[in-house]
Amino acid sequence: MPDPTPAIAVRDLRKLYGGKAAVDGLNLVVPRGCFFGFLGPNGAGKSTTVRMLTGLIPPSSGSIELLGMRLPEQELEIKKRIGLVPDESLLFDRLTGAEFLEFVGRMYGLARPVARERSRSLLDLFELLENRKLIAEYSKGMRKRVAMAASLIHHPDLFLMDEPFEGVDAVGARLMKDILADQVRRGATIFLTSHVLEVVERLCDRVAILDRGKIIREGPMAELRGGTESLEDVFVRLVGAEREFHELDWLK
Amino acid sequence: MIRAILRAQWLSMRTFRLASSRRGAVFSLLTAILWYGFWAVLAAVAEELTAAASLRARIVAGLPLGLLGVFAYWQLAPLASATMGASLDLRKLLVYPAPRSALFSVEILLRITTCAEMLLVLMGVSVGLLRNPAFGAWRSAPRVLGAMAAFVAFNLLLSAGMRSLLERLLGRKRIREVVVLILVLASSLPRLLAFTGVPTRYLRQLFPAGRNPFWPWAAAADWLLGTHPGAGAAVLAAWIALAYAFGRWQFARSLRYDLEEAQATVLAAKEPSPTEKLYRLPSLVLPDPLGAIVENELRSLSRTPRFRLVFIMGFTFGLIVWLPLALQGRAAHSAVFENFLVVVSLYALTLLGQVTYWNSFGFDRSAVQVYFSAPVAISRSLAGKNIAAGIFIFLELAMLAALSALLRMGISPAKIAEAFLVTAIAALYLLSLGNLSSVYYPRLMNPQRVSVGGAARRTQGLLLLLYPVALLPVLLAYLARYAFKSQFAFWAIVAVAAALGAAIYAMAMESAVQAARLRRETILAELSRGEGPVVAG
Repeated sequence: MPDPTPAIAVRDLRKLYGGKAAVDGLNLVVPRGCFFGFLGPNGAGKSTTVRMLTGLIPPSSGSIELLGMRLPEQELEIKKRIGLVPDESLLFDRLTGAEFLEFVGRMYGLARPVARERSRSLLDLFELLENRKLIAEYSKGMRKRVAMAASLIHHPDLFLMDEPFEGVDAVGARLMKDILADQVRRGATIFLTSHVLEVVERLCDRVAILDRGKIIREGPMAELRGGTESLEDVFVRLVGAEREFHELDWLK
Repeated sequence: MIRAILRAQWLSMRTFRLASSRRGAVFSLLTAILWYGFWAVLAAVAEELTAAASLRARIVAGLPLGLLGVFAYWQLAPLASATMGASLDLRKLLVYPAPRSALFSVEILLRITTCAEMLLVLMGVSVGLLRNPAFGAWRSAPRVLGAMAAFVAFNLLLSAGMRSLLERLLGRKRIREVVVLILVLASSLPRLLAFTGVPTRYLRQLFPAGRNPFWPWAAAADWLLGTHPGAGAAVLAAWIALAYAFGRWQFARSLRYDLEEAQATVLAAKEPSPTEKLYRLPSLVLPDPLGAIVENELRSLSRTPRFRLVFIMGFTFGLIVWLPLALQGRAAHSAVFENFLVVVSLYALTLLGQVTYWNSFGFDRSAVQVYFSAPVAISRSLAGKNIAAGIFIFLELAMLAALSALLRMGISPAKIAEAFLVTAIAALYLLSLGNLSSVYYPRLMNPQRVSVGGAARRTQGLLLLLYPVALLPVLLAYLARYAFKSQFAFWAIVAVAAALGAAIYAMAMESAVQAARLRRETILAELSRGEGPVVAG
């Protein structure tokens, strides 16, 4: 019988920086098995929210429940079941991709032979197996691919991803999208932020749009688009970014 | 252009939003006050000495040697402490149409960051000479200030060239370690030659009490004191021209230098190499995740250029600094000779601190997130890093013991065992302090650069004052051995020191874990921030 608790339940979540709210009273429920898009303009509070959900930064107030467990009380249990792709690099530059993946696997409690085997198959999947350079010498797209591989190695139930496609080429992005869709099919939940609205529109079944730390619209993708508009149209209309384009004289 | 670069750097350094940065800024301010306060006192002493008219003859004889000391410190101290100061991040700046002359000017200005203390001393000397009626007092101001400015310019230009040259040589794989060894041996050569006594007459011919008028320090002294102002100015001008040409040439070569290409690593071997097998050894006895963390640290640190440099310095500098002292005391069975291995081991332990335990997460940078996002208690991460540091410390000790045996120091197996034990106990105290400083004062470290900024040298200098306090229990044991001539007293205090060290380590670990939990956000922010157009190291 499937677990009835939502994958993510957030109530009145706030994060203040010097009195200014980066996240301002966020309420959000993400059902299990959902591909959830978390959108917003730059500086809306998306990354701050992801960092609070991963336990990397504490909220100023509010509560977070992931997979039916409370953060921070059950922090270690929650972390065991989360796969994380942060916006910034979490890679150890002086390791090779294989060494890093094996290290991450062992940090998540996998036995070394299992971690090594999974590391090999993930590197193969992400087309990095032949690359025996240090991560410091990887391109941006390769770094993202290794980070994505690391998020998969312990077979998590919930993925928290901040701009996972940034800097990845079309082939790599396609591969990553296929893998994520496959994870949702097996029942995992994916919570991702992205500025690539076409990707979100194609992959996600639910979306929330954040602006100035508050959710201004949330719901199923089809309902949000209303059948006629594209996600980009909805997004631009909701965050009030529809401005007339003025030519600059000196740029003519 | 220069103003734009300096402003960008200033804006990059605005970290007032973070509580941790404020705390770090206060810490930096305190260390700066203490460090420069010490040098200000020395400058005041220099000022008093050079202001005494009655000491005219001694000033004439001693000033060239004093300026030689300033020159040596200016050029060698950054090398000896691997703190070559801030420099332009050319990878970021070369995309802009910045004239090379402007970049070179900024690079010259940045050289002040490595030796501001020498400027203080030279200011003291200048004021002293200006007060001294035997050298014309204030009437000599144009001469004294001109000569001093020229001497400073010469040192700045030379150090800029040296920095560019060394940064390239030390950044290059394979030859880096050889260069370090050559530099270490070269810097200690005069001392070893003087100690052996054979070629001192040649040395005296080359450095006749610093009075060879063609050396820059002697020429500067001639100009400063007015003994041969014209000749001194001409010689110093020639040295400045040479230093300028050298500095520009080296800077131009650095502009074309590709650090990433020089450090590129391709690990082609499919089979595990012997080093790889060594990395895996700790996992045979340590369960995961501890084993994984130790293994990761061993791999990452041993591939980090700065760590490798400091590790090599640990056993070469240690031997070279202490060996002459030990050999001088061989006949008299001095304390240094009797405890040679312990002394060099403790020296290596303190030196390794800057790249291991004082700032455990520094090289991880934003990857420190792994330790906070993985389902592993932070105490495990700190313990894993401590174990890795311990492995390197004992590896260093083993190499020192082997080198001491090669040098026929006559160190018995019992003395070797004692050195291992005492170093382990001393390490407990230092690791305790290190765990606290790692979570309270995390600092970003660039693993690809071999040197760090001048601020790090200030901190290292002040840590030298703290080490005797941290190592007090161990020092007390040796004091007891010599005061009471009793092995029992020595081992009794060693046992107490070990028990106390273990208790302090446990308490410090608990405090560090609590602090890490509370300060996780600031630690992540501090270690994930970017750098401006100037990099500290």
